[in-house]
Amino acid sequence: MKKLAILFLLTGVCTFVNAQENYFYLNWDINQPLTNTDWLGATSARGVKVGYRVFIGSERKFSAGLDVNWTTFAEYKPTETFEQTSGAITTDYFNYIYQLGFTASGQYYFRGENKESRFLPYAGLGLGANKNDYSVFYNIYKEKERSWGFLARPEAGVLVRISERRRLGLMAVVHYDYSTSKSNDYNYSSFSSVGFQVGIISMQW
Amino acid sequence: MKKIALLTTLVGVALWGCQPEPDSVKLLDQLVVSTHYDKNANFKSYATYSMSTDTIGFISNANPKDTILTQKESTYPRTVLQRVEANINKANYTRVAKNASPDLGINVYVVNDYNLFQQVVYPSYYYPSYYGYYGSYYNYPYVNTYAQNTGALVLEIVDLKNIGADKKVNVLWTAYMGDVYSTIDLNKQSTDAIDQAFLQSPYISK
Repeated sequence: MKKLAILFLLTGVCTFVNAQENYFYLNWDINQPLTNTDWLGATSARGVKVGYRVFIGSERKFSAGLDVNWTTFAEYKPTETFEQTSGAITTDYFNYIYQLGFTASGQYYFRGENKESRFLPYAGLGLGANKNDYSVFYNIYKEKERSWGFLARPEAGVLVRISERRRLGLMAVVHYDYSTSKSNDYNYSSFSSVGFQVGIISMQW
Repeated sequence: MKKIALLTTLVGVALWGCQPEPDSVKLLDQLVVSTHYDKNANFKSYATYSMSTDTIGFISNANPKDTILTQKESTYPRTVLQRVEANINKANYTRVAKNASPDLGINVYVVNDYNLFQQVVYPSYYYPSYYGYYGSYYNYPYVNTYAQNTGALVLEIVDLKNIGADKKVNVLWTAYMGDVYSTIDLNKQSTDAIDQAFLQSPYISK
C-alpha cells in the first residue's frame, strides 16, 4: 500500500512537472565576500550555480525551484610572523573558503504588456542550507574548519530568450547571500557575500 | 558538433568551481618556521657554545638512506651548520671545543616522518540492459598505494652550564622548519629559514 502511494505520488509529480513550463540553468557565479574581509576579502570568479525552476500557473508570473551553488574563495597572504606566548611562527599562507549551498527558491516575474517579450525580469528568494570549509594552506600543512548554516538568498535577475524559435536563453542575476555558517577559529559569526551570475538556460515553453 | 562544444563548455564551467588548491610552487617556496623558548631562560648568562662541524642528526621512521644524511653525499649538513654558526656568532656567543666546557650545546637534526598508506578503490562501471541481460554495476576493486615523506629541520639550544643531577639537559630553545622534503630549493630555503628562526628570537643574545 505504501509503495503504491509512493508510485502514485511520483507519477503525479512527474506529470505535474511535464505539464508545467520550466527551465534549467547553469550560471557562472562571481562573488564578493562581505564578512571578515581581513581574513579573506578577494573577489571569487570560481563559482557555479545550477538550478531547475517550474512555473506555477499559465501566466508565467511565479516559479518555484531548487538551486545548488558552489564557490571557492581564495586569497594569498604574504609572509607574516605570529607571536605566541613562548615563541613565534613565520609563514606565508593561503586562506580558502569552499562553499556549497542548496536552496529551495521562489520567483516573481515582472511581465509587461507584451506577453511574448523575450525579456523576463524577476525577483526571488531562496532559503536553504550551506556548508563552508574555512581552510588555511601553508607549505604542506593544512587546517580546516567545516561549518553548516542556514542560507537566505534574495536575488534579482532577467531571463532572455535568444530567439522566439529557440529554447535556449541567457540569464543574468545579482544576489545577496547570508549564511549563519560560523567559524570560531577564523572569526566568522556568519558569512555573507554579494554575487553576479551570467549563464545559459534551457526553457521548456 | 555544436552539442559537443556546448557540453564541453558546461562541464568546464561546472568543474571551474570545484575544490582547487593553491599553487604548489607558491606554497612550497619557503619553509614554515616555528620557534619555542623556555621563558625562564636568561640567554645573557651564557657565553660559549659548541656544535658539530659537518654532521647533522637524522631521526626517521623509515629506512635511513637519505641524501641529506651525510656530508659525503650532500652539501646540506655543512650548509646548514655554517648558517647556524653565523647566526649564533652574530648573537655574540663564542664557539669552543666540546671538551672546553661550553655553556650551550647546539643540536641540529632532521626528523623524517615516512608514511605509507593504502586505499582500496571500488570503481563502478554500469552497463545497460541489452539482449535480454539485466544491466549491472561491475566492480573491479584495486589498491592505491601512497607514500608521503615529510620532515622538519630542527635546531635546539641546550643548557650545558646547568646540567641536573640526573645528567639531563634543559632545552632552552627549539626551532622547527618544514617541510624539508617538499622544497623548491632545499639549501636556500633552509638557510633562509635558519635566519628567520633567529630573527624572530631576538632574546637569543649575550
